[in-house]
Amino acid sequence: MAEGVLRDPVAERIAGSDSLPLDDMDHHLIALLRQDGRMAYKNLAEKTGLTESTVRSRIRRLEDNDLLRVVAVTDFEAAGFNLMLAVGVQVEGRSAADVAQDIAQFPEVFSVCQVVGTHDIECLMVAEDQEAVSVLLTEKLARVAGVRRLLPAMAIDVLKNQPNWVRFDAERSRV
Amino acid sequence: MSKRRLDELDQKIVSALARDARTSNRKIATELGVTEGTVRARIKRMEEEGQIRITAVTNIDHLRNPTLAYIWIEVDSAAQVQAVAAALAEVQQIGFVAVTLGRFDILAITLVQNNGQLADFLNSRVSVIPGVRRTECSLGVTFVKHDYRMSKILA
Repeated sequence: MAEGVLRDPVAERIAGSDSLPLDDMDHHLIALLRQDGRMAYKNLAEKTGLTESTVRSRIRRLEDNDLLRVVAVTDFEAAGFNLMLAVGVQVEGRSAADVAQDIAQFPEVFSVCQVVGTHDIECLMVAEDQEAVSVLLTEKLARVAGVRRLLPAMAIDVLKNQPNWVRFDAERSRV
Repeated sequence: MSKRRLDELDQKIVSALARDARTSNRKIATELGVTEGTVRARIKRMEEEGQIRITAVTNIDHLRNPTLAYIWIEVDSAAQVQAVAAALAEVQQIGFVAVTLGRFDILAITLVQNNGQLADFLNSRVSVIPGVRRTECSLGVTFVKHDYRMSKILA
């Protein structure tokens, strides 16, 4: 017997398109997969009241349309990174978009966004220890052409982190 | 509170899951030359210990509010920082909250539709939190990279 439709504020923010309108059942499936990405098709079918083959085809359709991916996310610490930094970058003499592309090449930098505000780029990065921070800032980021100033902040306590906004295109090829 | 680091086999399993986490244990086991039971046990342990999380991620291009806003917050007094951060973490629209050293006291990240919506959000949800002295925002223009394979996994 199907349970009520699971409400998930993030799942509900995903907008369908003309070619792929999303209904309540899609949002329900996305919400369930956000809770447990490895939930068996059989359980997904039980919880939604859909047949197993419908569940399969709906999930495949979401994946094929690049709306959704089910992935393993690794904790920084378990991967050996103990420090996390948010670094603002001021750019001079070069386009911020180009500088952002160069910064995105460093694997320690896991998020890069070109912004308007006091800075031109905001990025989030991890480091193993203090020495690694020094190398990352002074030997890697500071040497990217066009970087004028770096304004780092070190995260000492992460209270909330829902990794739910991602870019799909570039990343699959990086794996 | 530090977490156990992943060993070599853990990492290989995670790499297989990072491409498509709905791959069967059997397929991963065959690829890596270990038993299915080993793969199952490792995944279970890594999930239980918060080393990995297997979840659905969504494409930012398909979200209704596609613009990232980085909200940097200065707090009235150092003693209030944790309380303000905790209050921000309660706000449903905010996806990331960290207490920081350096530029500001707290960084909060949210998704908005545009500048106007950001201003409304700051006025109605952020500035009203007792202890918030000043905010500074960076509004995303182009989201260049987000490696979803890495995150801070909270209990």
